[in-house]
Amino acid sequence: MSCVNLIEKERNAIINPLKTCQPLGAMYAVTGVRRAVPLVHGSQGCSTFVRYSLSRHFREPSEIAVTSLHEDAAVFGGRRNLVEGLQNVAIRLKPSLIGVITTCSSEIIGDDVFGFIKTAKKELTEKIGEEKTEKIKIVPISTPSFVETHLKGYDNAVKALIDHVAEPSEPNEKINIIPGMVNPGDVREIKHILSLMDIEGIVLTDISDPFDSPLRPSTAELKPYYPKGGTTVEEIADSANSSGTLSLTKYAGSGALSLEKKYNVPAELGPLPIGVQNTDQFLRNLKKLTGQDITDDILDERGLLIDSMADLSSRYLHNRTVAIYGDPEITAGMARFVGELGMVPQLVLTGANNKEFVPDIENIAKDTGNEIDTMVGQDLRALEVYLKDNPVDLMIGSSDGRLIAKEVGIPLVRVGFPVYDRVGYHRHPVVGYNGGIHLIDMITNTVLENYYEHQHWKLQQ
Amino acid sequence: MPYKLFDVSKPIPERKEHTYVKHCDDPEGCLPKCNSKTIPGSMTERGCAFAGAKGVITGAIKDVAHVVHSPIGCTMYGYGSKRYPTTTEMPDGSQFPIKDFNIKYIIGTDLQESDVVFGGIKKLRQAVRETNREFPFVNAIYLYATCTTGLIGDDMDAVAKEMEEEIGKPVIAFNAPGFAGSTQSKGHQIGNNTLFDKIVGTTEPPATTPYDINFIGEYNIDGDLWLLKEYFDEIGINVLSTFTGDCCHNELGWMHRAKLSVVRCQRSSTYIAKMIEEEYGVPYIKTDFFSTEYCAENLRTVAKFFGLEDKADEVIARRMAKVGPELEFYKEKLTGKKVFIFSGGPKSYHLSIPLHNELGLETTGVSSMFEHEDGFEKMKDRVKEGALVIDDLNTLELEELIEDYDIDLILGGVKEKYLVHKLGIPSLLIHSYENGPYMGFEGFLNLARDMCSAIYSTVWNMLEFKEIEDPDVADVTREADVTREVAEEVEK
Repeated sequence: MSCVNLIEKERNAIINPLKTCQPLGAMYAVTGVRRAVPLVHGSQGCSTFVRYSLSRHFREPSEIAVTSLHEDAAVFGGRRNLVEGLQNVAIRLKPSLIGVITTCSSEIIGDDVFGFIKTAKKELTEKIGEEKTEKIKIVPISTPSFVETHLKGYDNAVKALIDHVAEPSEPNEKINIIPGMVNPGDVREIKHILSLMDIEGIVLTDISDPFDSPLRPSTAELKPYYPKGGTTVEEIADSANSSGTLSLTKYAGSGALSLEKKYNVPAELGPLPIGVQNTDQFLRNLKKLTGQDITDDILDERGLLIDSMADLSSRYLHNRTVAIYGDPEITAGMARFVGELGMVPQLVLTGANNKEFVPDIENIAKDTGNEIDTMVGQDLRALEVYLKDNPVDLMIGSSDGRLIAKEVGIPLVRVGFPVYDRVGYHRHPVVGYNGGIHLIDMITNTVLENYYEHQHWKLQQ
Repeated sequence: MPYKLFDVSKPIPERKEHTYVKHCDDPEGCLPKCNSKTIPGSMTERGCAFAGAKGVITGAIKDVAHVVHSPIGCTMYGYGSKRYPTTTEMPDGSQFPIKDFNIKYIIGTDLQESDVVFGGIKKLRQAVRETNREFPFVNAIYLYATCTTGLIGDDMDAVAKEMEEEIGKPVIAFNAPGFAGSTQSKGHQIGNNTLFDKIVGTTEPPATTPYDINFIGEYNIDGDLWLLKEYFDEIGINVLSTFTGDCCHNELGWMHRAKLSVVRCQRSSTYIAKMIEEEYGVPYIKTDFFSTEYCAENLRTVAKFFGLEDKADEVIARRMAKVGPELEFYKEKLTGKKVFIFSGGPKSYHLSIPLHNELGLETTGVSSMFEHEDGFEKMKDRVKEGALVIDDLNTLELEELIEDYDIDLILGGVKEKYLVHKLGIPSLLIHSYENGPYMGFEGFLNLARDMCSAIYSTVWNMLEFKEIEDPDVADVTREADVTREVAEEVEK
């Protein structure tokens, strides 16, 4: 029977979270803007913990400023902290853009961020003049930590960047891409596909270089260090003139919808192009929005993925059961792909509580002919308890499941965020046909290592 | 002028007071300003009080469940992030059912908007009940305030008291919301005070000996404690309680029964040693186990208290025989190399002298995120003329420092590591280590080895592409040979 078997949460408390709060998503998004600085209006932990999380996953610098709210600000408000903080960042770091990211504390205190930015701009103008002040875009991004998850923070940040910076002028025949919270390897794969279709894209925002930057002291921008790449402020401004916006995630599409509403830039939302059918759909969407042909080069890459699937899936992967956990769009994408590989997505689990998720999984269940146990708004403890009673052949998800995997003795294929106990995962795509090839290699090798190695003769071709 | 203003900090001239350049004839009180409010937007590396309380002090305890009363972020960031391994051994000889329980599990109330408006007490109570149901074997439940719960004013102590009665085991609230104090140091202090007030003196040890110590401020980073404990065991000194590496809840309760408190991390835990002395008359000494020299000296000091100097000398001799020759090798390689130490606190004064005396390194400067005046005094005392002593070094200043000073290696944290690499210099994790432990005799050898492999990594000689007229004469550099030599030596 093909259906979704929704498993309700048994607790109110979270044990071992599979999500974090909004500000991280906003810091991630702002880092994807060229010469931009995320300025967190909150306590120091709000920046420090996030920098730690991002740096250990990407093994890259994550330069994030904070207004350092102490007790006095908690009592009297964070006006001085934000006004001074903004000026210090503006003067010392000479950024092109500052994303002012709120937190639980600044939201609860009720700081008037818009008003404070005005004051800061006024004081800044007195210090460095109007021209220099006007050059720095200051974008308020409201990300109350007690509402939804990091994905909402990402969504809010992308929307805020668009709303504050996008400016209609002449049509540019480009396509806007909102990639979602994915890895540098994924964004590079998306850009690769665009280039094969001869489409110019504006990635909102492009973290591919900032979170995977070359070590070349002779060319590095120093004092302050800014990583190579990122979407320029001009490109964000130009996003109002594009022929369409493709948000590769339904869960963070409000920037795309805003462009559609304000500037008639047509929006298409999701799915994240993981696997064959999702990537096919992505190409069709691209064609629809740009009129560009799907080239032979891309279809050859598709053919390479299909070739791998023909060679590997029925031989090694068929009917193997999988538990997938993580952010909703990656989890849904992976569920569809393992279904395409002839595997059984036995359990999907996400920490977020997005309403689009269950219908997504229902479709996958129908298309792949599986009954899928589904947990929404749950945590890693729920995954652990489930797996103890319902073992699977393979787990797919972030490093945070590594101890569970060890405990229940199930091999883990690392996908998503964060991955800190293995290397290179931020560099390789999971999206697009090349992402599919990378995934099928990883999944198959894990299966071979864990289920064939003990009968080594079966590994001979 | 004993104070320096980095060019990059000219727009925030108050940074000058925080940046001291050592002059040997400066008066004693000449120190960088520290432990004060952070300049907003200055690209600080500091953390929050919650990190100090849960991340540093209590996160190492093996048999308690930690409930973070917060929106989901603080819970996520408090989860398994620190390198604090624990065993299942309990002091009474029994076994705790789960190894590394402290790393494996964290509980959070996941506060939503409605909780912020109407209060989160109900959720907290429920979380405690659920925690007790899920992990009935834990011996206590600790609750943590965060910015949100501090601001909405949830009375954590009342909930703790009420729930303690209901579930019949200790429930303790740590009121260290992120915004408390200027750094994570405030969280250390609140952690100390709370553990002292609520636990010390509430339990009795299964057995005592005349050689019992409290090992305070030793968190077992990457196994430091296990190594140091071997030395104590061999000398005949019994670690009755550890605060808090690989310790259990009850163990903290009988700290008043020890004969001596040995304070390892002096910044984060001298508080409790002092309180135990005042209240129960257990004397304390501040110690240092980084490097062979300090380790030997401090083992002798502790042993002397119990009249066990001979035993200590034996242990020291045995361990030195084990690591001495290899350390000599590294000293040869590291002599003259320049290091900058950017630690959270005490490591900035623990390491400068041993790195010089035992490994030949020069300390160009030291910085600390959250050290107080007493710590900065030691930092200043232990560096040479002209060295920098900096409070709350920020990213831009770090860049200028690397540009202006000839530095071969930075000892710092994850947040700085990859930036330092982008500037073309190696960096070593000193908060939670790379291939630790780093304390004690063997630990110092690990540190020496890691420093040597960082500095001599071939990559630093290949940073840029070089045009060579005749490609046939391209040759590996001398440093690359040294790398090989080091590798061979380690192999042996």
